[in-house]
Amino acid sequence: MSTPAWIRPATLKEALTMRRDYNARPLAGATDIYVRHRAATGTLPPLEDRPVLYVGHLPELTSISEDGKGWLRIGAATVYTDILEHPDTPLLLRRAIEELAAPALRNAGTLGGNIGNASPAADAVCALYALHAEVDLAGHAGERRVPIAQLITGPGKTTVGADELITAVSVPMDRPGSFHYYRKAGTRRANALSKIAFCAGGTVLEGRLTGLGVAVGAVGPTIVHSRDLEVRAEGSDLARYRKLQQEESAPGGFLTARYMALISPISDQRSTDAYRRRVTENLLRDLFERTIPTLLSGKAG
Amino acid sequence: MSHPVEQHPVTKTVERVDAREKARGETRYLADIPFPGRLFARVVRARIVRGEVVARNTPSLPEGYILVTADDIPAGGKNCVRMIEDDWPVFSEGTVRYYGEPLALLVGPDRATLAHLTEQCERAVEFRQQEAALTIEDALLCRGGAIHGTDNVYCDYQVVKGDPDGAMAGAARTIEGEYRTGFQEHVYIEPQSLVGTREEGRVTIYISTQCPFYVRKAVATALGLPQEEVVIIQTPTGGGFGGKEHYPDVLATTVAVALTRIDGPIELILDRMEDLEVTSKRHPSRVRYKAGLDEAGRISAFDVDIAFDGGAYESSSRVVLQRGMFSSNSVYEFPHVRVRGRAVATNSAPSDAFRGFGAPQGLFAAEMFLSRLAREIGVDDLDLRKDYLLQQGSTTMTGGRIHEEVKLPEMLEHVLRVSDYRRKREAYAAAARDNGANGTDGAASAKPLGGIGLALFKHGSAFTGSGEQEIIKARVRIRKRADGRPELLVSNVEIGQGVLTTFCKIVAQVLEIPYTDVVYDDHNTSHVPDSGPTCASRSVAVVGYLLQEAAKKLKGRLHEPGEFEVEQVYKHPEHLRWDAGTLSGDAYPSYSWGVNCIEVAVDPLTWEVDVRGVWTAYELGRAIDEEIVRGQIIGGAIQALGYAGLEKMENPEGRFLQRTMADYCIPTSLDYPGVDYALFDNPYPWGPFGAKGGGEVVFDGIGPAYAAAVQQAIGREVTRLPVTPEYISELVHEK
Repeated sequence: MSTPAWIRPATLKEALTMRRDYNARPLAGATDIYVRHRAATGTLPPLEDRPVLYVGHLPELTSISEDGKGWLRIGAATVYTDILEHPDTPLLLRRAIEELAAPALRNAGTLGGNIGNASPAADAVCALYALHAEVDLAGHAGERRVPIAQLITGPGKTTVGADELITAVSVPMDRPGSFHYYRKAGTRRANALSKIAFCAGGTVLEGRLTGLGVAVGAVGPTIVHSRDLEVRAEGSDLARYRKLQQEESAPGGFLTARYMALISPISDQRSTDAYRRRVTENLLRDLFERTIPTLLSGKAG
Repeated sequence: MSHPVEQHPVTKTVERVDAREKARGETRYLADIPFPGRLFARVVRARIVRGEVVARNTPSLPEGYILVTADDIPAGGKNCVRMIEDDWPVFSEGTVRYYGEPLALLVGPDRATLAHLTEQCERAVEFRQQEAALTIEDALLCRGGAIHGTDNVYCDYQVVKGDPDGAMAGAARTIEGEYRTGFQEHVYIEPQSLVGTREEGRVTIYISTQCPFYVRKAVATALGLPQEEVVIIQTPTGGGFGGKEHYPDVLATTVAVALTRIDGPIELILDRMEDLEVTSKRHPSRVRYKAGLDEAGRISAFDVDIAFDGGAYESSSRVVLQRGMFSSNSVYEFPHVRVRGRAVATNSAPSDAFRGFGAPQGLFAAEMFLSRLAREIGVDDLDLRKDYLLQQGSTTMTGGRIHEEVKLPEMLEHVLRVSDYRRKREAYAAAARDNGANGTDGAASAKPLGGIGLALFKHGSAFTGSGEQEIIKARVRIRKRADGRPELLVSNVEIGQGVLTTFCKIVAQVLEIPYTDVVYDDHNTSHVPDSGPTCASRSVAVVGYLLQEAAKKLKGRLHEPGEFEVEQVYKHPEHLRWDAGTLSGDAYPSYSWGVNCIEVAVDPLTWEVDVRGVWTAYELGRAIDEEIVRGQIIGGAIQALGYAGLEKMENPEGRFLQRTMADYCIPTSLDYPGVDYALFDNPYPWGPFGAKGGGEVVFDGIGPAYAAAVQQAIGREVTRLPVTPEYISELVHEK
C-alpha cells in the first residue's frame, strides 16, 4: 500500500496507529506549516516525504476539563480562542493568548502545535513554563505526563516520541492569592512576533510566596527558566525574600542577577542582543524589586 | 475628528467612483484577470551581493520552457531600463551589483516546475565575489572599488544663497548636527504584477503601475521599437506609494524581451517575499548641518551636506536628492545658505521614489537640527522656529519667491490649541526634571515617560523646477462622446488615492453635470495622450488644472451633435523662473503646507512607544473631496509613523534581513490612535478650484514630530529614524 499524503483518522487510537506506521506529521490549526514550508505563489508547499496526520477534529484533543484537583486539562488541539473564552483559564495564559497573533490565527492555532514546534519565542508556551504546566503524551505503549520544561530540549526539538502524540496540557487554575505578571515586547502592537516574552506567576497568601514561576522567551535557544531559583524563593515571607535578594548586591538583587546569567540573547532581524538583555533586566527588576515585595508586604491593591 | 471648514461645493464629499466595487471585492486586479493560454515567468536572480559571473552552466530545460537573457535583446534595442540614465540593465551581462539582480527570465506553463528550474538555474551560476559597499561611508570610500564611475557619486549638486562662506567665517559661534534615516519598503497590497502579450502584432503590456508612459518608454527602448508600437494598459493598481513609479519598467522590460521569442501571454507577478527583497526602497540618508550664529545669536549661515544612498543603479536618485536638498531648510528663511547634495552608489537594491520623494529625509534632519539649535542657543523651540518662518514674498533657499500667502502661523496656533501643546510640553518638561535624579533608566521606575513634539513643513507640488514644462509637457483631452457624456483622456491612474473620483468631480463642477456622468475608464497608452506620471503630488494640482481648463472649452457644447475633443497643454505660469544649471529660482510651482503634533508615552521597561495623539493641520490650496483628502491624511500619517518608529530594514551583509511581513512590520490599526486634522483653504490660482497637491505633504512631517516627542520623553537627543525601542534603549544607556 502506498503512503497516503494526508490522513484523517476517525479516532485517537487510529491516529496513534497512523503516527507509528507512517511517522506521520501531526497537524491541527495548520497556522505554521505554510510558513515553514513556504513555496512560490500558486504552488503546493514542498512537505517532507511523510504524510500529514490531521488531528484537529478528535474530541479527545479538543476538550477542556477540570481534573477535580485544581488543574485545568486543555486538549492539545483546542484552538486558542476556546482557551481564551474558557472561564477557568489562568489569567497568565489568557494574557499571553490575548496578545498572540491575530484573531483569525487564534481561531485556528493550538497549544499542542505551539509545543510541538518548540520555538523559543512562543508566547503561550512561555506562559506554560511559568505555570509549571504538564503535558500529556499518548503512544501505543501508553500515556505519560511530562513537565513542559522537560519536554522541550532545543529550538524545534522535543522529547515527543516518534510514535507519540501530544494530547493535552494541564495547568493549575488560579486560586486565592494567585498573581501573574506578563509583558511582551513585540515587533508591533498586534499580530506581532515577540522580541521578548516575559511571564511570571505564583501565589502570595498570608504574606508568603509559593509556586513562583518565571519564564523568559526569545532570549535563548529555549525558553529560559530555573526550577532551582524558583525553589530558592519558595515559602518566603518579606524578610526571607529580602535576605535571599541580598545574597548578591547586583541591581535587582540575587534573583535578577541569577536569571540574567541564564539568558543568551542574539541579534536577529527582529531585535538586538543588547536590547533583549536590557529589557529582560528591566522586567526582572520590575518583578523582583517592585511587584513581589509589594505583594509580600500586603500593599497590593 | 474633523474641523468643519466653510466648504466650496467641490470639497463636499461624494461617494468614490470605485468605492463599491472595491469594498465588495469585485475589482479585478491583474492576478484576477483571465488570459487564455497564459504562461508564467520567474526571474532568475544572482544570489550574491557583488561580483562577476564566471560561468553559467544552464541546465537543459524541459520542452515548453525558455530562458531569456541579455542575448535575446534584439538588434536596435538596448540592454537598459530607460529612466533618467541608462545604467540599469534589463539583464545582467556578467556584473552583479546587488543581491537579487536579474540574470535571466524563465518562462513556461507550470509554476511549480518554473520555481524548481529557477532554483536550478540560480545554483548553476558561478561567481567571483567582490567586497560590497553597503553604506554611504562605504560608498564614499569606494569600498571594494568604485561601483559607479570612479568615485561612486551619481551626482553632486550645490545650491548657494547669499554669501555662506563669508557669513560662516564671520560667525561668533557654530553649531553642528548629523542625522540619518533608513530604508523603507512600500508594501503596496498588490505586489508588482504584469502580463505581456502580443495584440494585433504589437507588444502589449497589462500592468499594475503609476506611470504607463514610463513603462512604454522603457519597453520601446529595450526592444528598439518606436514608442507607438508598444501598448501599455494599466490594470487596477493595489497601491503604489512610488514603488510603482519606475520599478514596473524593470519587470516589464524582461517580459518584453521574452516576447521577442514567444507570443505569450506571459504573467510575471512577484511573490511577496521576492517583492520585499529585490524591489526599490526609500533612500537612506545622512544629513550634516552646520549653522553660524552672529553676535546677537541670530542664525546667519546655514551649511548643509546631504548624502543619499542611491543603491546599485541611479534610477531617479538625482531628482529625489534635489527634493531632499530643497527640503533641507524646511519652512525657514536664512540669509546665507549652502546645500551640497550627493547621491552615491552602493550594493543595495536601487533606491527610488517613495511618497515624499526625498523630502521626509530633508525635513526630518532640518526639524531635528532646529531643535538642537534652540537647545544650544537656550531659546524655546517654537520661538526659534517662528523667528525664521517663510512668509509671502520670502526668498527661498534656491532664490525663488514664496508667491502664496503663508498660513502657517494660524495653522500652528490651531494645532497648539487642539493638542494643548504648550501645557503638555511644560508638564512633561517638569516631570523630566523631577525624574532627573533617577535618570530615565527603566529600572528606576515603571511609570511611562511622556513627551510631545511638533513639526512644520511644506511640500512642493509637481515636478521639480521646470520639469513640468521641459520634461513632462502634459497634455490632456476631453472627448465629447456621441451620447453626450464627457470622457477624460489622460494618462494618470488610480492607485487608491482617489483620482478616478477627483478628476470627474473637477470636470463635472465646470460643466455643471453630475460627476457620475463623466467617463474615465480608458488607461491604454495608445488611446490617451501623455499627461505625465502619477506621482509628485501632481495629478490633481497639475493635470486636474488642465482638465478644468479643457472642460471650460467644452462648456455649453455638450449638446452639440456627434463626437469631438478638446485639448489642453501644460504651460508654466509666467511668474515662475528656474535655472536647471545652477538649481536656482522657483523650485516648485506651489507648496502645500503642514503642521503636525504628536504626543507619546514611552515605556521605561521595554522602550516601546505609545502614540497618545496625532494632531495635524494642512493647507492644500483647496480640497477637491474632503473624504479623499482625509484618507490621504490618515494613510499618510500611519505610513509615516511606521517609517518613524517601526519599519526597520537592514542589510549589513548585503541581503535584506527583513524579508517577510512578519519581520518587516508595518503598522496595524492597533498601533496608532486616530488622526485629528484641519484643512485651511488658500486657493491657488493655477490649481483646479484652487487645489494643490496632497498625497505627500501628509507623510512629510510625522517623522520629525514623532522624534521630537520621543526626544522630550527620554531626555536624549534623537538623530535617527526609525526610532525603534532598540535605538531608544541605546540612547538611554549612553551616559
